[in-house]
Amino acid sequence: MAQKELTLFPGCMIPLRYPQIEKAARFFFRTIGVEVSDIEGFTCCPEPWNVKGAGLTEWLTIAGRNLGIAQKHGGDLITLCNGCYSTLKEAKHAFSSDERTVEEVIKRIKSTDLPKPGDIRVLHFADLLSELWEPVISQCVKKRLEGANIAIHHGCHLLRPADVMKFDDPFDPEVLERIIESLGATPVRYRGYTDCCGRAILHRDKSLDVASAKLDSMKQAGADCVVVPCPACFEQFDLGQVEIKRKTKRVFDLPVLHFSQLLALALEADPSSLGLDYHRVPVVDLVSKFLS
Amino acid sequence: MVRANPDFAKQLNRIEKAGNLNYCYQCSACVQECPAALRFSDFNPREIVLCALLGVADELIGENSVIWQCATCYNCYERCPQKARPVEVITALKNLAFETGNAPEQITALRESVLNHGTITTLSDSMKKRRDELGVPAISLPEAGLLKKILGG
Repeated sequence: MAQKELTLFPGCMIPLRYPQIEKAARFFFRTIGVEVSDIEGFTCCPEPWNVKGAGLTEWLTIAGRNLGIAQKHGGDLITLCNGCYSTLKEAKHAFSSDERTVEEVIKRIKSTDLPKPGDIRVLHFADLLSELWEPVISQCVKKRLEGANIAIHHGCHLLRPADVMKFDDPFDPEVLERIIESLGATPVRYRGYTDCCGRAILHRDKSLDVASAKLDSMKQAGADCVVVPCPACFEQFDLGQVEIKRKTKRVFDLPVLHFSQLLALALEADPSSLGLDYHRVPVVDLVSKFLS
Repeated sequence: MVRANPDFAKQLNRIEKAGNLNYCYQCSACVQECPAALRFSDFNPREIVLCALLGVADELIGENSVIWQCATCYNCYERCPQKARPVEVITALKNLAFETGNAPEQITALRESVLNHGTITTLSDSMKKRRDELGVPAISLPEAGLLKKILGG
């Protein structure tokens, strides 16, 4: 089971672009009684498609440094981002390999007075929901979302590679559906349920085409909103809807929430304190319609 | 004439077992659900693995290569019955393209930002204001150039 004291791995996108997600998460942690500490020295995880694409050794070294800092100064890590989760968990996995490159990276990290990375757990916000739901979180829920049809978008890196992430089935995930049901809402399955949001595709029009196909399918399945566990997927669907409208005139009007925001609302955070009006697709109607 | 180079695959970075490409038997299980293959006629994970195996990869690691359209969704990783891990082969090819100066500008810029600032983006004044308004704790950003030290020259 997840510990009640964790170290926050903030990443880049949430603190620097979407602090409203951080706000909701901090409210959530406080309300369920999990102590989350902030420690200094973390950098970008680093980001697992571009930085990793530039150089695996560099990517692993930076990830190892972050894991080493957590090990030396903090404890098990909690992240709100699939990118951070994927990088840190994959790196931790890589550090158990005996490839010569990996051994050299470990030597380099130790030379900076940090321990060999690998002995701490890397948890995603979704892990916390899964592990603490029954004993802790379910008892803190004050508001329900009766009648809301919710499309979960897991984001690739929460689920895959499944042998490393070990979160849920990579093509038939159910863990987060149980959480949505416990909140009184209905999780809707739609065509392309576990497909990518398209964010990492470099060609922007094609990238948005991937997002558009998913949004269309969610709408057809009757979704009232999309809930995501990742700021990159959040941006792709929220800001993405503005871009899609500009480029193709297609309008979906599907509000997007991070799981931490949905949970903060269920734990009776004042909606006006959560910065939801920073979202590009308005959330206010959804909140007034379903939160009771 | 295109020349094959059977030693090419040995150059691929092995941290994440891109070396497994030898097991590929060209079944195309990786192609069906690939979001990039569905949208780019010249993006095909099976063919990319074959090119890497044969060492016919000049185009793949050259300028404007289609490999940068990979969504890194790991569908191919899960669907491959041989654990050849096409996505890791693609990442290893990207590494070679980067080494030879053929990575797209966006990739180079993003990496530079991480190396220089420690983060993919910097804290803008408007975001600092938003953080204050929301009442989230002040952020402590990494010291500039910090990562260059650990990465060495």
